[in-house]
Amino acid sequence: MVIVKRKTLSLAERLYLPEIARGLSITFRKMFVPRSTRQYPEEPLPTTPVTRGQPRLVVKDDGAIACVSCGLCEAACPAYAITIDGGETDRPIEREPVRFDIDMLRCILCGFCEEACPKDAIFMSDELELADYTRAAHVYDLERLKRPRSVLRPRIDYVDRINERWKTPSST
Amino acid sequence: MNPLLVSLVKAVVIFAGLVSTAGLMSLAERKVSAWMQYRVGPNRVGPFGLLQPLADGVKFMFKEELVPAGANRWLFRLAPAMAALPAMLTVAVIPFAGNVVLFGQDFGPLSVADLDIGVLYLLAIGSMGVYGVILGGWASNSKYSLLGGLRASAQMISYELTLILSVLAVIAMAGTLDLRAIAASQAGVGQWYVWTQPLAFLLFVVATFAETNRHPFDFAECEPELVGGFHTEYSSMRFALFFLGEYAAMTVMACLTVTLFLGGSSVPFLEDAHWAVGFAAFLAKASFFLFLFLWVRWSLPRFRFDQLMHLGWKVMLPLSLANLVATGVLVSI
Repeated sequence: MVIVKRKTLSLAERLYLPEIARGLSITFRKMFVPRSTRQYPEEPLPTTPVTRGQPRLVVKDDGAIACVSCGLCEAACPAYAITIDGGETDRPIEREPVRFDIDMLRCILCGFCEEACPKDAIFMSDELELADYTRAAHVYDLERLKRPRSVLRPRIDYVDRINERWKTPSST
Repeated sequence: MNPLLVSLVKAVVIFAGLVSTAGLMSLAERKVSAWMQYRVGPNRVGPFGLLQPLADGVKFMFKEELVPAGANRWLFRLAPAMAALPAMLTVAVIPFAGNVVLFGQDFGPLSVADLDIGVLYLLAIGSMGVYGVILGGWASNSKYSLLGGLRASAQMISYELTLILSVLAVIAMAGTLDLRAIAASQAGVGQWYVWTQPLAFLLFVVATFAETNRHPFDFAECEPELVGGFHTEYSSMRFALFFLGEYAAMTVMACLTVTLFLGGSSVPFLEDAHWAVGFAAFLAKASFFLFLFLWVRWSLPRFRFDQLMHLGWKVMLPLSLANLVATGVLVSI
């Protein structure tokens, strides 16, 4: 058996009104506490170079796409989100993608494509928003994936920095 | 100027003011509750969410109206109107400001009707508000609604007495039932009845909370126990009408409190103020009481029903009776 001791109330507590005033003063003070609400579409979350958003293709400063459609990212992709059709080009590299689709509904934002790429042509951007009306609209084609190198610059620099240790010859 | 036309214009202006205040109160309720809970509140429709009541109204219009099987269809449809009507009738006798002078013409005092028995009229019609709640609860053919309606009726009877007895103390002091004369008898700040009748003021304010079915006395709704209480079965614009009525009743009660205890449109430390200044003072005072309704709602928990009855019959009624007797003795000496 549990014996619950009932607290004896003081006169002020039994009068009820002082306690009401105390309660009211608390809620009134809370009205002026700064809000932590983020008005999302107008105030987006801040992103950093570490943010692994949706993958995007690098467009070099001369306007040509950096991708040579080697297919490594397609092979590395664990979600089979990437589909590449290669084609010939007059540029010295001879190959470029004629079709490069990423199904954003399949993409798991793992960043394996970025790691696999030998030509620094695909990077995880800071773009995170994904919403549309049909499944088909979520399959991004070449034109929707292209981003100027300057836009992706912070991420490129960050990836270069963390990859530094693999580039220096090992001591063994 | 045709006096009929003047009265008509006043009626339209005051009615529109009351309804838009009720609409704005629904927004204020959400805003204030949000502020007290570290939230922001509605801010998407119009600047600061000011058009939210309109959006809500449009939404209610397009909702399907359901009448439950076995409901008393006629009373079910009548009840929301019965709930909203009394507040709109009673606002007519509230003296908002002194004589309105526009373009060098005197249009008389800013109230629709200047009744000699304003207080009596207001209390009599105001008490009809509970019929909407009871009929709505009874006609719904739902146990939750019925319980809500029954509780409302029990609560109204308990608190109506206190309300009227505390008003009687003021009437004894003023010696008149005319709201305008009562307001006029407290021209200076020192003459406000809130100072000479503090107990009556306190009891009156608590009783208005019970009269308007507001927290901590909203037993007619009581979501955790009764789903939605008397309005459980209501939908669409009829549901909205109940709330319009509730907010309008709150507005009228706030105006009545100001008129009875805070000098109506009298401006502190400013004799012979312009009627517009007096009107602004009235609105400011009434706004405080409207805020108080919201403030208390989002601060206090609901009473238990036996506590409500205990408070009504054993505490507030004896206090108001004692206050009335003491006032009577003091006035007659």
